[in-house]
Amino acid sequence: MLPVLLHISVVMILSPLLLGIIGKTKAFFAGRWGPPLLQPYYDIVKLFRKGNVYSTTTTWIFQAAPIISLATVLISAVLIPMGSFKAPLSFWGDIILFAGLYGLARFFLVIAALDTGSSFEGMGASREATFSCLAEVVLFLDFIILALLSKKFVLSEMLEANILSSWPLFGPVLLLVGASYFLVLLTENSRIPIDDPATHLELTMIHEVMVLDHSGWDLAYILYAGAMKLFVLGGLFLNILIPSHGLSPMAQTISFWGGMIVLAVGLGAVESCMARLRLNRIPQLLIGAFVLALVGLLIILVKGV
Amino acid sequence: MWLELELVLIILLGIIILGNNRLGTMIQLFALQSFILSTTPLLIHPGKHAVVMAVVTIILKVLLMPWLLFWAIRHASIRREVQPLVGYGKTLILGGFLMGAAFLISAKLDLPVQETSNLLVPTAFSLVMIGFLLLVSRFKAITQVIGYLVMENGIFLFAILLLEKTPLLVEMGILLDIFVGTLVMGIIVNHINQEFRSASTLNLTNLRD
Repeated sequence: MLPVLLHISVVMILSPLLLGIIGKTKAFFAGRWGPPLLQPYYDIVKLFRKGNVYSTTTTWIFQAAPIISLATVLISAVLIPMGSFKAPLSFWGDIILFAGLYGLARFFLVIAALDTGSSFEGMGASREATFSCLAEVVLFLDFIILALLSKKFVLSEMLEANILSSWPLFGPVLLLVGASYFLVLLTENSRIPIDDPATHLELTMIHEVMVLDHSGWDLAYILYAGAMKLFVLGGLFLNILIPSHGLSPMAQTISFWGGMIVLAVGLGAVESCMARLRLNRIPQLLIGAFVLALVGLLIILVKGV
Repeated sequence: MWLELELVLIILLGIIILGNNRLGTMIQLFALQSFILSTTPLLIHPGKHAVVMAVVTIILKVLLMPWLLFWAIRHASIRREVQPLVGYGKTLILGGFLMGAAFLISAKLDLPVQETSNLLVPTAFSLVMIGFLLLVSRFKAITQVIGYLVMENGIFLFAILLLEKTPLLVEMGILLDIFVGTLVMGIIVNHINQEFRSASTLNLTNLRD
């Protein structure tokens, strides 16, 4: 029980910091001073002090969705190792649970958006559903490649087992997995160039549209869940790319948390030098990610593991 | 390891070329791909032969041909492929399937020469397939030229396998042919543009007496 609590509290405490670092990086690129590093915490605390406003057309689904999205992200956090913290929970086939949890959260956010009866939110819901269904295929292809490489079907073992020994032999494949997973990461967290988290220009929004009617506590839950999702998926990205297992706990800790900071700065840099893509180009990008993962799979099948 | 990394990068660039609609970017990507390609002989068969090949390839494919293509798009003032025959997403999916086919075919091939890496032949076939796809799915003459060049990159990669066995003269002859071909095509693009005020090859199907 203790490792689970430890794991969850680490995610809960540190995840908004990642958004703060991204914000600072973007401000640096724009030549501004930018909001303080702890601004995402202040935002969440501010929202927790406010009351909720519910439209009379909404039902319990609208109130349940933010809580479910927060809970699913917390459960998924337990499945991945973070530096010297081993994954507290792991069992055969948990990679499907991992993807499924995000599917569940998305499903509830989508029907909550439809629950409001606003046609505008329905549009956002439809976009979110479309793009994430393309992204999920890529995620699963990446998981299949990793499972083939490690001959394991448990997420944490898959990441720990053979990645280190795979790098000399299958470095190119892991690079392809990393590249395609990075695009999934951007899509799942609705970052630039897929979606702009800061935009409120109505016709271009994807994720932000869906949560437009949430307020107070509910919005805080959603923002918090978004921060944690970035943290957990980013942690998985680092676990794929950095073969830290087998190192001393100290080195693991340094490589993981250092990598996290580099990832946040990198995300900020990507967002500063790219513009958001036009909506009709996004499926193309995700299909590109799919083809990358497919090539990785083909290479493994040809080379044999 | 390094060779495989290069091969994967080459495939990657092929995919990006396939999904791109800006002609300038496509030409730059092609130049980058050719540059990576020109270093592969050094990794496979290090020696004087390979160095000559690499230098000539860099001069022709990385410097001269992209310059020629840039000259052509500047004169014809075309920037991007506006109406491809097949949409970009669909082209990418098709490209993925063709690459799968390329990997399957090359697994079945029984080559007389020793392969340095078992990724070399699949990559070569994938490039040929991507080039073909570009040739048949786009209308702009310049995109078709790029498709042809990508295809030739694939053939070049395949020929590297036989580098030791083929005389240098043959390789140089092939490269010269490609260069002259590109030159002629660049001029034709310009003429199509002057004649029809667009560089679309669709115009060439109209009959005239």
